[in-house]
Amino acid sequence: MNLSRPDRRERLARLAAEYALGTSPPRVRRRLVRIARRDPVVAQALAQWERRIAVLGEAVPGVTPPPRVWRGIAGKLGLDAAAADRGPVSWWNRAGLWRGLAAASLAVALALAIVQLTRLSAPASPPLVVVLAGSDARPALIATATRGLPYLTIKAVIDATPAQGKSLELWALPGTGAPRSLGVIPAGAVVNLPLRAPAGESLANIPALAVSLEPAGGSPTGLPTGPVLYSGKVERMY
Amino acid sequence: MNDAAPGAARIAAAERSTGLATLLARVALADQRAFEELYRLTAPHLYGVALRILRNAPAAEEILQEAWVSVWHHAGSYDAAKSQPVTWLTSIVRNRSLDHLRRREIDVVTPDGDDDAPEIEFPADDPTPVELLLEGADARSLRDCVDTLEAGQKQAIALAFFQGLSHAELAQHLREPLGTVKSWVRRGLEKLKRCLDGAGVTR
Repeated sequence: MNLSRPDRRERLARLAAEYALGTSPPRVRRRLVRIARRDPVVAQALAQWERRIAVLGEAVPGVTPPPRVWRGIAGKLGLDAAAADRGPVSWWNRAGLWRGLAAASLAVALALAIVQLTRLSAPASPPLVVVLAGSDARPALIATATRGLPYLTIKAVIDATPAQGKSLELWALPGTGAPRSLGVIPAGAVVNLPLRAPAGESLANIPALAVSLEPAGGSPTGLPTGPVLYSGKVERMY
Repeated sequence: MNDAAPGAARIAAAERSTGLATLLARVALADQRAFEELYRLTAPHLYGVALRILRNAPAAEEILQEAWVSVWHHAGSYDAAKSQPVTWLTSIVRNRSLDHLRRREIDVVTPDGDDDAPEIEFPADDPTPVELLLEGADARSLRDCVDTLEAGQKQAIALAFFQGLSHAELAQHLREPLGTVKSWVRRGLEKLKRCLDGAGVTR
């Protein structure tokens, strides 16, 4: 059945609504899911209805699941044993990446000072600064860019050279959605990483960058495959 | 019930301040801590959703585990243009819960057949499905939309949504012919869609 044909739209709308509400028979549910995989019109209809229906469900009272649920998840995924034991606690409130960023404010100030100095000598548009820090909150790399220019300048604060056969890959983390590769960071204390478009454009709506450890030459999949070593917020300086 | 656990309204607030979507993006980067944080913020709501539909704690726990394993593996496929993070997560749990229920219907010939675990009894003061439907309507416009539904439509949609009843079960529960119940659901949903889309609650 070709549900995306215009004359079938009405039927699709009904099927999608019943799917999202959950009243469709199992056979129809399975079939819709199968069709949606290859038919974007059907996929969109299901997603739209799920969104509408989700609005209805906001008042469902929350119930804290027993700790064994988290332990089971951590076990199934082979997450580190400590994670399984300590349970999901807020890393926002713990020494962690983001708090590290706050601690790295000195580095930001420093980076800014450098950028300000640079600005005195160059007719530059407002710069972007990203202090990339590890989980220990220590800054490792500082990336700066001028909005109108199509590259990022990356300065190593520590020796961040990866092991033989490995590369560091820089990722743009959109507020939502999958990370986007900005490329493999070349070796060197201060390097320029070319961007496809001027930095202001390439990093528009990008709140943060991250660096992951990848096989030499970068991730083979187009998505990060290795651990995140450093991350940092994109500070926009005006 | 657990009033300390965050409902979706509280999650929405958390979403604004800490960015569930950013957490999801980090989970896609295999960031364990982001995964833990996402779980901490949203698991109570999701467990509540699974419990409502399945009415069986061991089954709800199992579904929750499966769903979170899937979130870990598929966080990269989350598309912010298509849905809010909570919507995406809730859909995974709802769909798995419903699949679980429907699978049981095939396996168990009698719908009232014995189960391996006792059904959960929600406390007497626990909101009914229709109350939940109205409570969820925090936004004035959504409440207005729910109010436009006729009583039968409202009840059928609420029972289907919050308790995962199928058309046949709705008919049985409401003691109405199958055709009547189906048309309540269909007309009710059409009305909701027009109203919600018109009010800009959803697109």
